Amino acid sequence: MTQRFLSIILLGLFMLSCSPPPSHHVVLLHVEDDPTITFRIWFQVGSQCDPAGKEGLASLTAAMIAEGATETRAYEDILTELYPLASSYGASVDKEMTVLSGRVHQDNLDMFYNLFLDAILHPAFSEEDFVRIRTEMLNRLEKSLRYANDEELGKAVFSHFVYEGTQYAHIAEGTISSLENITVEDVRRFYRAWYTRNNVVIGLGGGYNAALLRRLEEDLALLPESRPTQPEAPEPAAFNGLHFRIVEKDCNATAISFGYPIDVLRGDDDFWALAVFNSWFGEHRNSSSHLYQVIRETRGMNYGDYSYIEHFANGGSRQMPAPHYGRRQQLFEVWLRPVQHVHRHFALRAAIRELQSVVENGMTQAQFDLTQRFLTTYALHYATSTSSRLGYAIDSRFYGIDQDYVDLFRRKIDALTLEDVNDAIRRHIQFHDLKIAVVTSGAEQFVEELVADQPSPVEYDTPKPQEVLDEDLQIMVYPLNVQRANISVISVDQVFE
Amino acid sequence: MRILLHVILLMGLAGGIVAAETGGDGVFPYVSRTETLANGLTVIMIPMSGSGLMSYYSIVRTGARDEYEAGKTGFAHFFEHMMFRGTKNYPAAKYDRMVTEMGANANAYTTDDYTAYHLSFAAEKLETVVRLESDRFQFLEYEVAAFQTEAGAVYGEYRKNRSNPWQVLFEVLLRNAFTRHTYGHTTIGFEEDIKAMPKLYDYSREFFSRYYRPDNVVLLLVGDFEPETAMKFIRKYYSDWQAGYQPPAIPVEAEQTGERTAQVSYEGKTLPLLMVSYKAPAFDVSDARMVAGSMLGELLFGETSAIYRKLVLKEQTVQFISAEFGFNRDPRLWSIYAMVKDETDITAVRAEIDRTIDQFSRKTVDEAELRNLKKRLRYSFLMNLDSPDAVAANLARLIAITGGMDVIDNLYTAYDRVTPKNIRDAVRQYLTPERRTIVTLTGRE
Repeated sequence: MTQRFLSIILLGLFMLSCSPPPSHHVVLLHVEDDPTITFRIWFQVGSQCDPAGKEGLASLTAAMIAEGATETRAYEDILTELYPLASSYGASVDKEMTVLSGRVHQDNLDMFYNLFLDAILHPAFSEEDFVRIRTEMLNRLEKSLRYANDEELGKAVFSHFVYEGTQYAHIAEGTISSLENITVEDVRRFYRAWYTRNNVVIGLGGGYNAALLRRLEEDLALLPESRPTQPEAPEPAAFNGLHFRIVEKDCNATAISFGYPIDVLRGDDDFWALAVFNSWFGEHRNSSSHLYQVIRETRGMNYGDYSYIEHFANGGSRQMPAPHYGRRQQLFEVWLRPVQHVHRHFALRAAIRELQSVVENGMTQAQFDLTQRFLTTYALHYATSTSSRLGYAIDSRFYGIDQDYVDLFRRKIDALTLEDVNDAIRRHIQFHDLKIAVVTSGAEQFVEELVADQPSPVEYDTPKPQEVLDEDLQIMVYPLNVQRANISVISVDQVFE
Repeated sequence: MRILLHVILLMGLAGGIVAAETGGDGVFPYVSRTETLANGLTVIMIPMSGSGLMSYYSIVRTGARDEYEAGKTGFAHFFEHMMFRGTKNYPAAKYDRMVTEMGANANAYTTDDYTAYHLSFAAEKLETVVRLESDRFQFLEYEVAAFQTEAGAVYGEYRKNRSNPWQVLFEVLLRNAFTRHTYGHTTIGFEEDIKAMPKLYDYSREFFSRYYRPDNVVLLLVGDFEPETAMKFIRKYYSDWQAGYQPPAIPVEAEQTGERTAQVSYEGKTLPLLMVSYKAPAFDVSDARMVAGSMLGELLFGETSAIYRKLVLKEQTVQFISAEFGFNRDPRLWSIYAMVKDETDITAVRAEIDRTIDQFSRKTVDEAELRNLKKRLRYSFLMNLDSPDAVAANLARLIAITGGMDVIDNLYTAYDRVTPKNIRDAVRQYLTPERRTIVTLTGRE
């Protein structure tokens, strides 16, 4: 109680002396005829800042701001006030970014603004909210993610496998034991340390006016003064060969993700060339993806097969990449949607073999031309609303890009040559050293099949053209050269422990 | 709210086209224009200038509801996949290549009541899109082998969904709630029917011939385009498409006269799930009681409801409680669902749902509370119209159910007219024990 009283006095002192954050801490996207206003308030903090043993703290803190009481309003009263506005605010937390965002119709601006800013500036962090939100997070890990969505489970295991030993390893929600280890006092401390006026970037979009921006700047200047130190970028350990993390789970299909860390980020010279390669090889949820053509379209083995050069969150439900997953370290990742267990070995071989083929042969002129044409227009769909465009603009600030990302992307793609793309493939894409996460039933049997490099013939329920059957003969014996020592099998009950 | 102020009917345009324009005077803020070709194809156009993008929806008013023949569950969805398998003029590879070259975002989805094929693309490509879409809707052609391969992909989709316990629960709910009507199966269909799909090539041609007809399709165009130009292309490419829709013989579900229950044991681990579903009326915007009924989910079980405060925020016995009171062509279900933290609390949560309904059947809802709900519905609708694609996506269901655009403003006008008495009457009529099916799902320890 005394401590809280002290902090209120200190806050009062800051209120007397503060001035708005500097203008480089503002990202604006004014759209004159937009009847709504979008707020995206970016705090430069993420799950990489979670203290050891308290993984999940960044997420829990943000959730308590977005879904909890303030010092003067009970959460249920906040919900009641937001209800007729059809507005809400929420938090997005990834490794490096936390964004509190909300959108409101101009008619309801004042009412929404007061609630949103109250949540950011004066969260109550009550015990009742803490218990509710932490329990929800625990249940999501223990029950939903672990047992009810094998695709997301496979991706989470893959990310952890690649980043083991770094601050990127855990998913933003943390682990079961670390969440149980967090106290409400930890949340308060984390908030005080990271939600400061020097650590915030204001994103404002839509039909706002200058007065609103001024008001927002002045209000956020009420946050504490301190300047937190950002952690170093992660350095995932180097590895050779194919490494497997296989999760034994009672399930009816096998989920597979594989890849490795890459040093290319949005805005880097090779990023644009890799974007063309990636779009051709595995454009997300698009039948133009080469992997999709090989595994799904020709062989009907699953629902889709894609690749990525940046983290793509919620791939099962999203068509276009969501904003606020800016990272200083990215992955090249291949995602095979669930295949029948009997096809797992074959599908994995087929995907790695295709990767080898493009690494060794590069893309053809015709493939390049088509993909270049596709991407220069397809990029228009990344951000079609004011809200999503503002999100992308904030991410551009993260990557040090000082112009409209979609425009820049289109121009950069348009200026590329086939040689640029194939050079970038040679520099960054390889198939020898991969981390492979698998969620399956009968893991031990799969281990034996992998170690023995056992042929994996497939039988189709339906007739296939002779050229497909001929190619299958090559795929089914494609050597993976897996060492037993490079395979670890864990039970699903151990994931997120 | 005002009813549409001006509706202009222009009769006797080329080929017996009927056109109507609505002026954005109701809740919907954009001007829309509707034309109907002589073959029955309805075209709804909503210009939204500025973005350079447009969205093109082909809404087929056929979905899982139309699967009335034995062994054919899931067929509307499967057929949606086949629509990407090409024609003589544009074989699949050529179609894919053209869509890729345009940089279009193209996809499709199937629901209980309709199937939607949608492309979002740079507006200058409109004629190419009209040509491609009209071609596959008239001249779809695919080999038996391609048909059979696609069945494998659909089975893959089923497997992908199967790890979700809600999917399992939903399948059991529908089986129990409906004894005759086709709403008794999920959109993806029964596993045994999906497995048998490769054998149904001939039926797939029959399906196309029955349902993919202009008199069963609505085109919805939203974005940066001129309606006159769009209609010129549409007349050119769609006018020869022959009418001939054959309505499905969907059995009528008998009135439910007693509560039904089912318990599901889920092979995985999950928190217990509870779903309480009531037989809902078919969508009819002129029926004040139906409109009031559709508001009950938010009013009784939304985030500001007493039960939400009690179970989610205070006692914290449920991870969440929510309700889905949607719109359908035929009488379907309005559902309340909850994820319960402890199996021993399921009975208490059920009792709380009953208590909530009982209270609303006896009391008159507060005027201010109802006003807030109406305001919420209106702003929720308006806030979701933030891009051409979002507009099209948000309108698609109501257009599919009714076949036209008038319903949008009419629905919001109807919401405004709902009185506290309508609400109480709707609770008494629809949320009664004999109309409900209750399903609980528990996982393994």
